[in-house]
Amino acid sequence: MATRRTKKWLHVKERKSKFATRQATRSEILHVEEEGYIAPDTVDNEDERIVDLTQADIKSSVDIFSAQKRFDLQLPLYGPYHIDYTRNGRHLLLGGRKGHVAAFDWQTKKLHCELNVMEQINDVKWLHIETMYAVAQRQWTYIYDNQGVEVHCLKALDRSLHLEFLPYHFLLAATNEAGYLSYIDVSIGKKVAAYNTRIANGNGKCGTSVMCQNPSNAMIGLGHAGGVVTFWSPNQREPVVKMLAHKSTIRSVAVERTGTYMATSGVDAKLKIWDLRTYKCVNEYRTASTGASALTFSQKNLLAASYRDIVEIYKDLYDEESSSTELPRYLVHQCPNGSSIASIAFCPYEDVLGVGHDRGFVSLLVPGAGEPNFDALEANPYQTKKQRKHAEVKQLLDKIQPDMITLDNSVLSEIDRKAFVRKQDEKQKEFNFVKPKELIAKAEKKKGKIGKRLARKSQIHDAKLKEFLQQKQLKRQKTKK
Amino acid sequence: YDPDLHPFEVAREYTRAMNAVKMERIFARPFICGLDGHRDSVQCITKHSTQLSLLLSGSCDGEIKIWNVAQRVCQGTIPAHNGFVRGICVMPDGEAFYSVGNDKLIKRWTMNNYETPAMTIVGKHVFTSIDHHYKNPQYATSGETVSLWDEQRAQPLQTFKWGADSHARVKFNPIETTVLASCAADRSIILYDTRQSVPLRKITLRMNSSTLAWNPLEAFVFTTANEDYNLYSFDIRYLQRPFNIHKDHVAAVTDVDYSPTGKEFVSGSYDKTIRIFPSDKGHSRDIYHTKRMQHITCVQWTADNKYVISGSDEMCLRLWKAKASEKLGVTRNREAETLEYNDALKEKFSHFPKIKRIARQRHVPKHVYHAKREHKTIQDSQKRHEANARANSKPGSVPFVSERSKLVLEEEE
Repeated sequence: MATRRTKKWLHVKERKSKFATRQATRSEILHVEEEGYIAPDTVDNEDERIVDLTQADIKSSVDIFSAQKRFDLQLPLYGPYHIDYTRNGRHLLLGGRKGHVAAFDWQTKKLHCELNVMEQINDVKWLHIETMYAVAQRQWTYIYDNQGVEVHCLKALDRSLHLEFLPYHFLLAATNEAGYLSYIDVSIGKKVAAYNTRIANGNGKCGTSVMCQNPSNAMIGLGHAGGVVTFWSPNQREPVVKMLAHKSTIRSVAVERTGTYMATSGVDAKLKIWDLRTYKCVNEYRTASTGASALTFSQKNLLAASYRDIVEIYKDLYDEESSSTELPRYLVHQCPNGSSIASIAFCPYEDVLGVGHDRGFVSLLVPGAGEPNFDALEANPYQTKKQRKHAEVKQLLDKIQPDMITLDNSVLSEIDRKAFVRKQDEKQKEFNFVKPKELIAKAEKKKGKIGKRLARKSQIHDAKLKEFLQQKQLKRQKTKK
Repeated sequence: YDPDLHPFEVAREYTRAMNAVKMERIFARPFICGLDGHRDSVQCITKHSTQLSLLLSGSCDGEIKIWNVAQRVCQGTIPAHNGFVRGICVMPDGEAFYSVGNDKLIKRWTMNNYETPAMTIVGKHVFTSIDHHYKNPQYATSGETVSLWDEQRAQPLQTFKWGADSHARVKFNPIETTVLASCAADRSIILYDTRQSVPLRKITLRMNSSTLAWNPLEAFVFTTANEDYNLYSFDIRYLQRPFNIHKDHVAAVTDVDYSPTGKEFVSGSYDKTIRIFPSDKGHSRDIYHTKRMQHITCVQWTADNKYVISGSDEMCLRLWKAKASEKLGVTRNREAETLEYNDALKEKFSHFPKIKRIARQRHVPKHVYHAKREHKTIQDSQKRHEANARANSKPGSVPFVSERSKLVLEEEE
């Protein structure tokens, strides 16, 4: 029942929110950088294709500051390298399979630490800040300080194959050789959940190392041997979503930053793009023989895929008009000496793709990959030490509890109709005298099972309201007489 | 602004709101200090009309003390009356103040001279309270009758009489300055106009009202503190029913005073607690209590909207913060912004159950807690009886009657 007062209050709120949006758009004047891609000089010129451009060509045609972002690190001794960039894209972590770990600021080439952990390394991951990182070693997972000092040994994450860090929840997720997905809260050091993911798969013999994170809703996506992709949240023993993506083993999964699209690649040499709202395949492409061993999205929705020793970057993947199964390649790079690629990662806020391979690390220029304007309150590549400390405190204060991880983010901002109806019914049972409250009418939608249940409940509620109003009418008639 | 760069907006804001509400409860320390010095229970407090830091309090042994609240010292003591000091009122220009007591005297004092009163008037009956006109040099006293006096005369200009044999309180309207209201001992509230010779209107309630307070910003609103544990806010244009009932006390409400913004008021009650209510809501937003504080006789809200002062039976005046978790002193710009942001978050997420529960949580003295539970059981059982009667009788024979319309027994002109 909207009284005059609530109407006025709503009106004021609307005016304030309009003002806020206007001010937010005004602040875009502060966006100094512009985004751009490589575009061909003349359209449809067969002689000049963007794909044919080499890194050397790109390097020679950009300014010095960008050119120095293209570099090679030759580390032939310690095995295929796993890489990770920090959230602000400033620091790089390299972990070689034979135990070599190095953390450095890749733009200034300032080394933070370099050590050998004397054990096989399966994965490395930065935590929320550049002073701590996690290394998934053969036996357990260790957390190191950026000086190389071992800070923690996480025995709960034993024999981890792959690590993922959820920055807003401070959760470190790891898949196990035995098939367990574990979550650890890094801020308090508590294990939040551990689920056996082989149940989802059915016939899986061991754990999967195919893992990705959906950055928009903090779900962990795993790819299984039967072609099944499952999404997990730390609140449920069962996977939240289970979808059959390929007819064969899945080799890699990646989810785009806004959480609308997912790319999967399987051994059946197909690369499929899925719409995560409807769980339908948007596009299907043919790839090289055994599928991409690693997939990753950039901030500007370029997809990088690695096939043995080649990394390919695709642009405009969601173009629904094109019906071809040929991948829209943008840039291509081949690693020298045929060294196979272990991991790839786009650097946030930079037009750079980092590739870790058998014999070291390579940083490639990919124009148009990164988000040009960063929000310093979220991730600041030019942080001072003091800013970093303050930012860490703020991040910890804003840490979202793991039980708020849901598939649909908008649940929190909507009215909980079910709880309202349930409360009214409970009250009605207890005391007979509840004055019926009105619920705001929802737009008519196609009703599922829950919708029909709600409809039945609202019928009962309407009947009670009717009785109340009838009594009021009777009273009015009486006073008239 | 790119929303993709800021994922989990609602969840993060919810976490911040949770933190804000918890911090509010952590920093909720409303008690500032006690002002000691009276040798008998404090009967009435008045704030000075022009000087923020001055406070005048009268006690039951006839003493009036003038306090400097900012320095927390007593500036002077006046042995004013031979019995209770029933009421004090300061003149609007701040030069002098009046006091009335059980010895049937009205005394006028100037601010600096604490030895002798500037004028003494002998009345015919015991005066229970006094209040000064906000514009004219007139004041009104209540006792057996409500009388309107002129500053220069020794006899009242007018005497209003309507049925009741004693009036507990008289208060002038700060905006419609010719209107005054009084609480009478026959459970009624009477409205007067100084331009007329007869009272305007009289409403009779179910129980006696001890005092009333006019809203300093809305000319037609006054709130009465009633002995049936509630406070009622009336609109003088429609006295048939109160437009709000404020329930939360568990014993008779003894005093009420509005905040200078008119949006809140403070009430002290016989149940040893002070409650702060928003003017438009039915329940209190805060409760202040101390083990040492006994039955509260008078409350005042300071004119800078920041503090609340209570006087109680155990001879002590207490100074409290109006907003329990407010930071006193200078707040820097960023701090003030953060506090405002936190307030906005608390308001935005106020309906979420966890946040609501934390925001509502107050420590309440045991006797109040048990009394409230008992009252709730009584109320619930009454409602249940009514609902059963309604369910088992002819539809329409047991109508829904709102509590507000049940209150005023009759209204006379």
